[in-house]
Amino acid sequence: MWKSLVVAIALTAASGSAFAASAVNKDAETRTLIVTEGGGKTELALAAGETVEFCPNGCFVTLPNGDLEALTGSETVEISGGVARIK
Amino acid sequence: MNAFAARESPIVMLLRLLRLILAFTLIISASPSFEAMAQALGQGSAGLITDQQKVIQGLTAKTDGLEKKLQQDGQDDASLVDIRLQLEDLSRAALTSALAFRSRLTDINNRIEVLGPPPAAGQPQEPDIVTGERQALASEKAEINAVVASAQNLSIRISGLIDRIGNMRSEQFRNFLTKHYALSDALSPQVFSDAQDEYANFYKAVSSWLSFAFKFKFKAILAATFTSLALAAILLVGGRRLFGRIFEADPSVEDPTYLSRLSVAFWSTLLPTLAVGAFLVSTVFLYNYYNVLRGDIGVFLNALAAVIAVVFCVNRLTNAALEPRMPNWRLIQVETGPARWLVRLTTAMAVVIGVNNFLSIVNDKMGSPLSLTIARSFVATLIVGVILILMALLRPYKGTDGSWRPWPAWLRYTSVALGLSTITAALFGYIGLAIFVSLQVVVTGTILVTAYIGFLSAREIGEEGGFAGTSIGRWLSTNAGYEDTALDQLGLVVSVAINLMIVLVFLPLILFMWGFQPGDIQAWAYKLATGITIGSVTISVTGILSGIVVFIIGYFLTRWFQGWLDGSVMARGKVDTGVRNSIRLAVGYAGVAVAGLVGISAAGIDLSNLALVAGALSLGIGFGLQNVVSNFVSGLILLAERPFKVGDWIVAGDTSGTVKKISVRATEIETFQRQSVILPNSNLINNAVGNWTHRNKLGRVEIKVGVAYGSDVKRVHAILVEIARGHPLVLKNPEPFVLFTNFGAAALEFEIRVFLADVLNGAIVQNDIRFAVLDAFGAEHIEIPSTPRAEVKVKQTEAWPLDDDKIEVEFAEKEQAEAEAAAEKARLAKSGRKARKPDPS
Repeated sequence: MWKSLVVAIALTAASGSAFAASAVNKDAETRTLIVTEGGGKTELALAAGETVEFCPNGCFVTLPNGDLEALTGSETVEISGGVARIK
Repeated sequence: MNAFAARESPIVMLLRLLRLILAFTLIISASPSFEAMAQALGQGSAGLITDQQKVIQGLTAKTDGLEKKLQQDGQDDASLVDIRLQLEDLSRAALTSALAFRSRLTDINNRIEVLGPPPAAGQPQEPDIVTGERQALASEKAEINAVVASAQNLSIRISGLIDRIGNMRSEQFRNFLTKHYALSDALSPQVFSDAQDEYANFYKAVSSWLSFAFKFKFKAILAATFTSLALAAILLVGGRRLFGRIFEADPSVEDPTYLSRLSVAFWSTLLPTLAVGAFLVSTVFLYNYYNVLRGDIGVFLNALAAVIAVVFCVNRLTNAALEPRMPNWRLIQVETGPARWLVRLTTAMAVVIGVNNFLSIVNDKMGSPLSLTIARSFVATLIVGVILILMALLRPYKGTDGSWRPWPAWLRYTSVALGLSTITAALFGYIGLAIFVSLQVVVTGTILVTAYIGFLSAREIGEEGGFAGTSIGRWLSTNAGYEDTALDQLGLVVSVAINLMIVLVFLPLILFMWGFQPGDIQAWAYKLATGITIGSVTISVTGILSGIVVFIIGYFLTRWFQGWLDGSVMARGKVDTGVRNSIRLAVGYAGVAVAGLVGISAAGIDLSNLALVAGALSLGIGFGLQNVVSNFVSGLILLAERPFKVGDWIVAGDTSGTVKKISVRATEIETFQRQSVILPNSNLINNAVGNWTHRNKLGRVEIKVGVAYGSDVKRVHAILVEIARGHPLVLKNPEPFVLFTNFGAAALEFEIRVFLADVLNGAIVQNDIRFAVLDAFGAEHIEIPSTPRAEVKVKQTEAWPLDDDKIEVEFAEKEQAEAEAAAEKARLAKSGRKARKPDPS
């Protein structure tokens, strides 16, 4: 009986899965992203080696080199050597 | 060849279909990036930039249009919500258009990186072509950034508009509730003539439509009405057939259970309401379809249908809950007279509210004066207020002495307060507030009562044995062979599911009633699913659910792997049971730990935060849980070193017994008195543990025998050796040995030492040998000396007066003993336990 219950829960939960975008700072110093989400801009400071989840519903983000990029909310922004790459 | 092809073709087709589906899903899931890529590759950057500029311009134009519309239709709540949904779409579109640049930006950045930084002053000049390309790339990047920035600005602007819509809507709601009307205008004699005019207009509209309809559309009306009636009848009759017994209250049942009363109330409200609803919806639909409706008549008919549905539902619900005709089936135990009155009053209230709503729509459409609207609402709210107070004043219960007793205080006071506040608000001219309150009392009250009945039935099903008593439970137990405990667990699950369903169905209904729009609820559901961000923590339902699911899947995978490893691989590989146990446990713990970690990270909880906390607490935990940790590590060592396994006879300190279970913290030992002793693992690691059955079960048993001085010791020795050798369980090698141990104070002492293949048989062997020694010594007249024994005087029992009686009683006793023995044997056989060997010590 528990097995069928588990299957039922798994089926209900399997429908639809959305995750936030994440940003990883692989550098040894703090890097800052400027995130525009909703009506406002916020600065997202990433300490060395930190991983942060942000922007679950899509946002614009200003990367350390000044580029402005749009994120849908499923990407990973990886900063290494001061350069950010979106994967 | 053809036949082969024909035989293959279904499979080939299936494969093709699968491939098609796969490709389709891929395209759908990857569509935005696909588009972006195609654009970037196909048209070059310049084309891309102009394209997206155009797209964003289009979006900006649309946003301008919506903003204008916002200023025009600012008073209509539904259109505000609609505008908000459109704005959200636009915001997403802006984001998508900005996404189109991603691959081009990546290319440019890669190229700039390849070109390297411009040479510093003093370094040799680079070729012009490199400088030119760098500049070109930089300017292109600047252009792209400008376009993305415009998309960003648009998105910010849209967010601002969405916020503004929220503010406007709450402002409007406040205005509606707090608006003050001058009653003196509304309640002047002028109103009556206005009402007469209005009625005349309405009558004219309806009668002209009726004459039109009868003249030109009579057949269509007949067809539509009959089709709807047939649909409703099918629903009602079908439902009655399907749910027959639980649908109708059976007056012959003396004392129906609470659950059956609840289900009757629920179904006898739901089914007829559904049937009536189906009739009304299909009538309106078919009239529309046949173009019977003309002008405002459609709106009137919709409103009328809604009124009829609400009044019918309220009436059914109160009837079902109060059952004025059948006191046995009443859910709320009020007396029959008050029950009848309650049904009448609630129905009257629903009628008043419904008619008021209908008239308000008529007023809207006919463009009647404001005073009429105010007067109508004023009267309606007054009536509702009075009905509420009347209900509160009703005395529904009968005390033991026959006197009538009122409602519980809280209900009475709430009802009076609601009624009074409605009347006061109306009297002071706050008609909007009064109408809102009275509408809420009827509709929200109905929804809440229905939901409450649902909650009650869920609780009843969740009770022990509740589900087994339902018809589904009975069906399951007879047809699917479910045990009572399984049914109980199922009942619990069903009750949780019902509760969840009630929340999911009724919460949105109540929210609708409180002036929220479907768009609001949709937006909330979306937010809840994707995550609410509080500070830096994002909590999302899907995240948590997926975490749980991942953990459960991991757990079952572990269990399955464990079972497979243990049952198939290691059992077939003839691995020692101890090793098997250790490996199984280790795999289990590792698997659960991994599943837990993966589940936590899938739930979106950052483990690095936990690590910080764990680091801070580790010192305290280290001291506080010193024992637990030490036992845990000892458990791991036990699993690795395996000084004993499950089933071994070990002696640890004062405890001696069989090992039952080795867990990570403690080991369970069952003594031969069948007492379970839980020994912490550190005890077993730090102290000496004796294991009788470590490598083999070989063991030595000693039996002491003393003979009197003067006996023939050679003969005694020979007899003892012979007895020891003669026992079938005693090993030939190592040979049994009889030791002449001591010239004791009272006896010459011997000791028989025998080795057994299975030391667990020790008790049997000792017993057999002692009996044999006593027999042999008796035959050889060898005395076993002893300290003076307690003297026992055997009491002669009196003879029975009649020998026949005695024989009879003895026979009866014998019979009884035999019967008891047989019963004991049967019990042992039934419980599936084998008669055990006597314990070794």
